[in-house]
Amino acid sequence: MIRGGKSFVSSPPSFSNDAKKLLVCTGNTVSIFSTDTGLQVTELEGHTALVTSIIVEPAPTPASTILCYCWTSSLDGTIKYWDFSVSELMKTINIQLPIYSMVVPSFLAHKSENSEKLSDIYAYISVEDTKNEQNKQRNELSGKILKCNLSKSHLVPGVILSESKKPEKITISSTGKYIGIHEKRKIRIWEVPTKDLKNISPRKLKLSHTKNLSCIAFHPTDRILVAGDVTGRILIWRGFGDKTFAGSNLENEKLLKDEDEKPGVRGNGDADSCTTWHWHSSEVKVLSFSSEGVYLYSGGKEGVLVLWQLDTGKKVFLPRIGTPLLNFMSSPDPSLASVSCADNRIHILKMPRMEILKSISGIKLPSPVPEMFRGSCKDFVFDHTAGLVAVRTENYCIQFYSLFDDREISEVQVCERNHQPSDDVTMILNLVALSFEGSVMCTVETRMAEEGIGGFVTLKFWERGSQNNDFSLSTVIYEPHRDAGVSAVAFHPTRGMALSASYGGDFKVWVSNHEIQQNDRLIQRTRWACHAVGSYRKKPMTAAAFSNDGSVLAIAAETVITLWDPEKNVLVAVIGSTREPIENLSFIGDSNFLVSTSQGSNSQLSVWSMAKLSVSWSYKLHTEAIACSEKDSHFAVLVVLPESSKADVATSHSGAILLFNAGDPVPVASWFVAKAKGGGIAFIQRNRSLDDDMDENEGQVLLAYVNGEHEYAVFNPHGVEMQERKVRHTDSVSVTGPEVTGQIGYASIYGKLPEFKLEAGAESATLSERPWETIFSGPSHSLPPLTKLCSDFLESLLKKRTGTLI
Amino acid sequence: MAVGDRSEAIVKTFAVKPKLKPTNKKSTSSPESKYWKSFRPKQTQTLVSSITSLAFSPTSPHDFAATHSATVTIFSSKTLEPKSTIASFKDTATSACFRSDGQLLAAGSYSGQIQVFDVKKRSVLRRLPGHSRPVHFVSYPRVDKLHLFSGGDDSIVKYWDVSSETSICNLIGHKDYVRCGDGSPASDDMFITGSYDHTVRVWDVRVSKIASMLSINHGAPVEDVIYLPSGGLIATAGGNIVKIWDVIGGGKLLHSMESHNKTVTSICVGKTGINSVNSTNQYRILSVSLDGYLKVFNYSTLKITSSTRFPSSLMSVAFSPDCNTRVVGSANGVLYAGKRKTNENIESVESEWGKHIGFGAIEEPEKRILRPSYFRYFHRGQNEKPSKGDYLIMRPKRLKLAEHDKLLKKFLHKEALVSALKAKNPENVVAVMEELVSRKKLLKCVSNLGVDELGLLMGFLQKYCTMPRYAGVLIVLVKKVVEHRIDDISGSDELKGYVRNLKRLIVEEIRIQESLQEIQGIISPLLKTAGRR
Repeated sequence: MIRGGKSFVSSPPSFSNDAKKLLVCTGNTVSIFSTDTGLQVTELEGHTALVTSIIVEPAPTPASTILCYCWTSSLDGTIKYWDFSVSELMKTINIQLPIYSMVVPSFLAHKSENSEKLSDIYAYISVEDTKNEQNKQRNELSGKILKCNLSKSHLVPGVILSESKKPEKITISSTGKYIGIHEKRKIRIWEVPTKDLKNISPRKLKLSHTKNLSCIAFHPTDRILVAGDVTGRILIWRGFGDKTFAGSNLENEKLLKDEDEKPGVRGNGDADSCTTWHWHSSEVKVLSFSSEGVYLYSGGKEGVLVLWQLDTGKKVFLPRIGTPLLNFMSSPDPSLASVSCADNRIHILKMPRMEILKSISGIKLPSPVPEMFRGSCKDFVFDHTAGLVAVRTENYCIQFYSLFDDREISEVQVCERNHQPSDDVTMILNLVALSFEGSVMCTVETRMAEEGIGGFVTLKFWERGSQNNDFSLSTVIYEPHRDAGVSAVAFHPTRGMALSASYGGDFKVWVSNHEIQQNDRLIQRTRWACHAVGSYRKKPMTAAAFSNDGSVLAIAAETVITLWDPEKNVLVAVIGSTREPIENLSFIGDSNFLVSTSQGSNSQLSVWSMAKLSVSWSYKLHTEAIACSEKDSHFAVLVVLPESSKADVATSHSGAILLFNAGDPVPVASWFVAKAKGGGIAFIQRNRSLDDDMDENEGQVLLAYVNGEHEYAVFNPHGVEMQERKVRHTDSVSVTGPEVTGQIGYASIYGKLPEFKLEAGAESATLSERPWETIFSGPSHSLPPLTKLCSDFLESLLKKRTGTLI
Repeated sequence: MAVGDRSEAIVKTFAVKPKLKPTNKKSTSSPESKYWKSFRPKQTQTLVSSITSLAFSPTSPHDFAATHSATVTIFSSKTLEPKSTIASFKDTATSACFRSDGQLLAAGSYSGQIQVFDVKKRSVLRRLPGHSRPVHFVSYPRVDKLHLFSGGDDSIVKYWDVSSETSICNLIGHKDYVRCGDGSPASDDMFITGSYDHTVRVWDVRVSKIASMLSINHGAPVEDVIYLPSGGLIATAGGNIVKIWDVIGGGKLLHSMESHNKTVTSICVGKTGINSVNSTNQYRILSVSLDGYLKVFNYSTLKITSSTRFPSSLMSVAFSPDCNTRVVGSANGVLYAGKRKTNENIESVESEWGKHIGFGAIEEPEKRILRPSYFRYFHRGQNEKPSKGDYLIMRPKRLKLAEHDKLLKKFLHKEALVSALKAKNPENVVAVMEELVSRKKLLKCVSNLGVDELGLLMGFLQKYCTMPRYAGVLIVLVKKVVEHRIDDISGSDELKGYVRNLKRLIVEEIRIQESLQEIQGIISPLLKTAGRR
């Protein structure tokens, strides 16, 4: 099983002591990237839940910068100590509470005092108190900040710095002298005692603001605190804590001054002055001081990194990063820094000039879709042969991500626009489709109108160049179906033919024409031109698929499936109807079955027999995606489990993957998965180079599952029994955590089956609330005699009438 | 983790571009059609009447002769101006033909007499009487300087010995007017003639006793016939059809080209100078017709490669052997002569010029050795031409930004719209409008426009709003503009005028749409029945 697609930006990364490596939290593991090449070097595996913070142990002397030890904390309630040069786990401290943030002040303070090294290392951790469930329900404070002795690996008893509604991120000053958290409109600051002894709880101080705060940062040398708020203001408190933290002998003098000389400080906050900078137009997410404290870095939703000169307020910008910024990390090497962006990308910056040196990019996160396009957008498609997934990104690009290598292959800019995260969405990339061999891509984009002016849909065909990595635009078609949106695009499996179906009630078949231009050298061009147009009773076409040999074209016209001859554009047959518009259609391999899904209140998964032109079997299931194997007659569906059945399954499992054989309504295998909503599955061909440790069946295909947050897993759907035999595999499966969780083998299917049987039965047995509409539906031979039905029918009608009258 | 410089991937400049136009499937700008277009026809002086024939001299500088009314005019191929006129005809002159050395010219006449002239002195050297009816066809063999063959309306083909002014033999076989013919490029003793009896006959004077070697039925009165350069194929023109035959293969029809609408009057062989490597592929058939079209037919790919329309019916065509001049004669006496404009021409002229003024070798200035103290030392090698094997690193092309692009970059939306409107390219204006729509600023721009700028916009709208390409955007915009700026419009007479025009346009457009719908109503049942079949 291959996993990947983890978020790189869930927690701040950390540089190693020599700044050659960058440690990034990627889900349950810590990935270590080289800052020179931007490629992954190694991985630290051991945590069973999301890793929330990484702290690299600083080198006590400059000579020992090669030492590579780090502490990590995770939501699984453990703190682990690693030697990351050899990726070896040294020590585990079990706190048993999910840790959301951890800081270790003693790493930062007093590097010169060697005697200090012998004393214990204390960490402050922000945890969620999940032990007493009752607390939660009573809406009490579950977030706590605790102190932990890392050397002796236990919590310091009795030290609870604060309690809050939910665990907050702890910020620490770069000298390790102060730690702080921000909660809504308040900031709490503690001074860490220099002699960090067991039970002394540090002195604390509170500052408040009128807006919700989003981040804070401490000045490295002076007592200056900056905080960003949700409106884009940066607040600077100078001389905080003069009263609380400074010696008590000064207290009286200060008190006298307090009342009049605290410009800008709200309430009785303990600070000399508070000033505000307002440049950012929306929430400030990043605040960080340069190491000597002269400059301040800030960034936010606009995707602009701003460098402020603290004394003068002068600004320098790194503009147009294109996505909201999440984190800024300066490194031990003054010429390097890193910026984490919300599009799952970490930029390594060359520092004084703020130039992007390298980018480490993970799979792009799902981009939000406006309500009106909810139905007509598809987040990603698979390239079956190359094992790639093409992800639609927010900045109008298609990212090609290798499932096997877990890295970005390329990015294609589809619309000629720069994305600004704070702007309104006026253009959207609706659909992506890839041809079977992956050489042609088709994209659909929609420009939204401004009060009815100038919106249009564009269909674009892209050809992969000979270098086999870059797509180039071959044909642009404006308004392919007048003003109607495109609902589906399908490619012919063998020929240069594509189909676009629209909600406007027609579909078009496009064919490619090769043409060679002899202008000095051979330039081969391909153009796509309309070959045929068809429609079925002006019904909106909602889904389309070519059969595997390309001889039949199935198009769903709302609730019926129409079959066409793609060459001659002749309607061949129309098959039965479903209750809701069909969302997805697919031919199953070489078998003569067609599978369709529809969503809505009567969502349905139906398998149609092409030989009989009738429904073969169907379930009432909310199906998110279908994947059909090319060779044999297997297909897999991703099902979102209904709310009611969630009770008996573990709560983290929102969906299931069911593997069917086309002729048989009993699933062959099933797996529970998390975050199924918005996910997708596909059969992909095995990459030869990866086959070493897997079984030797060359012809077999793997099943890839991408969940709603673009994390994925690739596994062999037929190797279920085999995996049960392999002890190693079952181990890894049981430790999987929330992503793709426990696989249930063939044997345990029978425990699960009755549930589906029930549902299938329920569908046929229960009448809808308007029985007169469905009482006659069904094949005539299975209906009861008309004489019997008639009275029922009349009765049902009468009942309803009286009901409405009264 | 894509490796690479991402900084430019983040900030990109996209110029506002109009929507692409649908391109024609047959690319009109293929190099060949460009070549044929380069013969820009220059209308020289109008001659008296219909130009019955055109002929190029086989020797350089390839002057050409045109026969019209009772004269033969010789034109210089350099200047395309008449050089001299021969007027010693009693009746309409026909079928001028140069001898292979270009010194003599033979021409027929409606009087039936054939005359041979000295081209330079314009004097008549020989008169060949013999035809009783008008002679439409006289020709020298390709190389032979001593003989002529001719065909007349008396349906007799004659082979002449020029020096003795006697006909060697009468070739009888045609049953109607003989109007055309051509000598074989392979043998001087063979030639073909075409007649109004629909046949083309191949003659060999060595076996003159036999009627004709071969007879081909074209299917229509033959207006012109030529040998193609290989000598194995002939092309015949008659009716609106040009046919290609294989004479060696016994007169087999190879292809029939029917792209003219009226009678094809003349054909000739042209040559494209494009790919000198493959010389067999560069010959084309040029045909002219009464419908006023000149078509260029590539008989190796069997495709029309170029088609040019002339304003009047065309009678004759000729193409110079050096591929630099093409002349087309029309029925109303206008001669369209076109010279190809190429860089080579200019260069060759220059080189000749150089020959004339070159007084021995001019000393080239000695190349100075570059030393590090010179400024140019540091620039050395920058103007070096890359050699064949070098890998070229192109400098990234700078995107050229138009005025409105620069303004859009500065978020000066109204100014951008106004500058696009002033530039008067409707495509760009619509593109700028679309860009403004995607910034959700178009209506704000409209309400910010000053009165004279509004006039500019209204002028644009009334000009283009019903044009199908832009109607989708503009018609809605018109409505919004009128809604938003009703006060300003009612205050200005000029704007009121625009609105009045718009109203009229809309009425007109509605009428067009209605009639189109009517037509659709008529056509769609027809299409349905056609589709059913």
